[in-house]
Amino acid sequence: MKKSRGSNKALPIGEEIKEKVGAVLVVGGGVSGIQASLDLANSGFKVCLLDKFPSIGGTMSQLDKTFPTNDCAMCILAPKLVEVSRHPNVSLITNAEVESVEGTPGHFGVNIKKKARSIDETACTGCDICLDNCPVRNKPQISKPEVVLIKDEKIDAITDRYKDKEGSLIQALLDVNSQYNYLPENELRYIAERLDLPLSQVYSIGSFYSAFTFKPRGKHLIRVCTGTACHVRGASKILEEVERKLEINPGETTEDKTFTLETVNCLGCCALGPVMVVDEDYHGKLTVNKVEKILKSYG
Amino acid sequence: MKLNSPEELEKLREKILSERDPNKPCIAICAGTGCLALGAQRVINAFKEEIRKQELEAEVDIRETGCPGFCEKGTVVVIYPEGICYFQVQPEDSPEIISAIKEKKIVDRLLYTDPSTGKKVIHEHEIPFYKNQTRLLIDSNVKIDPKNIEDYIALGGYSALSKALSRMTPEQVLEEVKKSDLRGRGGGGFPTGRKWETTRNAPGEPKYVIVNCDEGDPGAFMDRALMEGNPHSVLEGLTIGAYAIGSHEGFIYIRQEYPLAVENVKIALKQAKIYGFAGKNILGSNFDFTIKVHRGAGAFVSGESSALMTALEGKVGEPRPKHIHTSIEGLWNKPSNLNNVETWANIPLIINRGAKWFSRIGTEKSKGTKIFSLVGKVNNTGLVEVPMGTTLRKLIYDIGGGIPEGKKFKAVQTGGPSGGCVPESLIDLPIDFDELKKAGSMMGSGGMIIMDEDTCMVDVARYFLNFLKDESCGKCTPCREGVAQMHAILTDICEGRGTENDLELLEELAEVVKDTSLCQLGATSPNPVLSTLRYFRDEYNAHIMDKKCPARVCKALIHYSIIEEKCTGCGLCAKKCPQGAIIGERRKPHVIDQSRCIKCGICFDSCRFDAIEVK
Repeated sequence: MKKSRGSNKALPIGEEIKEKVGAVLVVGGGVSGIQASLDLANSGFKVCLLDKFPSIGGTMSQLDKTFPTNDCAMCILAPKLVEVSRHPNVSLITNAEVESVEGTPGHFGVNIKKKARSIDETACTGCDICLDNCPVRNKPQISKPEVVLIKDEKIDAITDRYKDKEGSLIQALLDVNSQYNYLPENELRYIAERLDLPLSQVYSIGSFYSAFTFKPRGKHLIRVCTGTACHVRGASKILEEVERKLEINPGETTEDKTFTLETVNCLGCCALGPVMVVDEDYHGKLTVNKVEKILKSYG
Repeated sequence: MKLNSPEELEKLREKILSERDPNKPCIAICAGTGCLALGAQRVINAFKEEIRKQELEAEVDIRETGCPGFCEKGTVVVIYPEGICYFQVQPEDSPEIISAIKEKKIVDRLLYTDPSTGKKVIHEHEIPFYKNQTRLLIDSNVKIDPKNIEDYIALGGYSALSKALSRMTPEQVLEEVKKSDLRGRGGGGFPTGRKWETTRNAPGEPKYVIVNCDEGDPGAFMDRALMEGNPHSVLEGLTIGAYAIGSHEGFIYIRQEYPLAVENVKIALKQAKIYGFAGKNILGSNFDFTIKVHRGAGAFVSGESSALMTALEGKVGEPRPKHIHTSIEGLWNKPSNLNNVETWANIPLIINRGAKWFSRIGTEKSKGTKIFSLVGKVNNTGLVEVPMGTTLRKLIYDIGGGIPEGKKFKAVQTGGPSGGCVPESLIDLPIDFDELKKAGSMMGSGGMIIMDEDTCMVDVARYFLNFLKDESCGKCTPCREGVAQMHAILTDICEGRGTENDLELLEELAEVVKDTSLCQLGATSPNPVLSTLRYFRDEYNAHIMDKKCPARVCKALIHYSIIEEKCTGCGLCAKKCPQGAIIGERRKPHVIDQSRCIKCGICFDSCRFDAIEVK
């Protein structure tokens, strides 16, 4: 469908505009789009509100509470939804996407692609009967991938320790982390199963805390302290030298899986700064020149 | 071995003391993380081996203690009962020290040399670093083995708990803490007594008490030193607090980056249970109290009270809005009282010696002592404990021994990443909660990072924002986006792309982030920017207008060159240069090819003739 306002043909860019058109297309029917449409419509502009989903409301309609006041999201949004749908100056175009925009301010032409609804909009009354009778509704369209969980006795031992203890997931993951040096995927799925927690919760903990990583670490773990005390004593130069020598960035592992480089915010041995720890060995009062020798002694 | 009454505790104390010979030599070796990093374990093993070889087990004791604070001079060894201090002790020194103990002599070469007089100092209390401190909390660290509860009992440990449980009502304990005017040592400085009272009076059961040992500020390690060196003092304070508040369950939240502290506090807890200082019917008083240890998994924001409680619940440690304070609805929405390690450690002192005694120390509004970690460009790196109101000058020069290599002192950064920088002009500022706030910084947990003329303040501000950018949990927009934007502007300035409007924009952005962030991490994040802008605006201007970094730190604004007259043409720098950017004939002055130089500084570090200069 091609939609253009003012004249039938959009003016090419640069051509002088004689008469500006007081109509606006708002793209995106979330709360900000709705509010913008209402403000414009109340000031007398004709507004087309477009959204790619079959209904307007956006993310806010799915939220329980809003930041920072903890107000109920629907209580704010619902009156606006009703108002925008009833406003004489607003027309809704849903289930549609913008394909291209041409023209100049005051004379835009917009190509909109309306997706197939497969329902005659003029005849539909929204009675809901088809919805109730639809045999495929509420069935997942994509089948869940079959994941074979490998039984892991180490994990069994850990989960036995923490089962039925409220709030112990972080503790359990710390134990997994010290067993494997990282959090392997199979073990995470397995622990979620054993502790009867959603995998998403396990993943959110694993990705939030800096002690955890989903990638295997190398044979030697290098941690360069970038705490303030070390920083003012030149830790960044040390870090750069390690990066250069190993050709990896912090958080990465060398190709031969010998070294993993990480930074740490403070080791609390500031008297030694700048300091770097390889596995359990502390190397203090570093200079750029000492780095190579230390790395060679492990490599 | 469970003690069932205060009398039994006193009897045990007498028994321990009578079995110990006060004149028996004891070698106290620091086994804190700082000294362990310097190889203290090898020193300890060497001493043990030597004593075994000489069959002196019955005549000399060895004690592995917590951190005495003087990390700069580790490994620290103190010989009791005389209190002779040896510094920078190596494993090879053990035979000499042991024979000196036998012959009642002193090993001169391992003594501390007072840099101002050049004289050797024998005893701990004569060393300027210790002499100028008031060590109420940290002093016990050298006197006890943290893994042995009897050492703590011998020093009078758990007498405050016994006093509170047998001779005071919870109301009296609360009143005493309120009267002492103790303020929270975690940084906020909220009156502890009032916080306790809120939780005590809040509706809802059970009530929880929590120790915050998620010491995330880089450069601060006083909580770790207490937890490692004297965990029982924290447990005792926590139990007294629980009694006053009416709680029967306590948590210790401790960073997993402190493995030794986790280990020691777990051992301490086990021993406290055996002796009846934790568990059911403590000292026959019908008061029950259990403590759990919870390891944190590395997130700076989890040190914030509401975030810490969310983490204790086993969730992602993000803060939540505090319309209702955590003292009323905290852990599992129950009244929860959270205090910092150092705050809890102060409680036994207050109960034992009284609020009056405590409130005599310090300034009008900030009472007691505070432990600071003195780090960065200072001669005596370490932990220092001084009364509130001590001036920065005393801290940096009298205790800290001044700036290394005779450089000029520029500023001190206090309060961790969300704190601010205090310039040299305010060196006579008395340090307490309110004075630091007035100067645009804050007390924080007590990290003091000393900076000298070689520190670029713009780079420091950028460093802190980079830290906060990574540590922001991302829940609220002002902090997540605002900090990242401020960091981007500062990076531009450091890399020579700064414009005149940047400073104004920075200030405006800083105010917005300060006013609108959800938790204190965001609200205090502009502090490093605002305080450096306030005191070091000329440095910002130098970066922007002249495109120069006065401290010669910001890479994009400096370049390395070789001073022709000084270069001997030894070729060392050319050999070391990773870019092959240094060219020249042997025995003739070399030059740096600026187009290839990446400013790594290797040539500067390796030149033995000071022939490389930075401009």
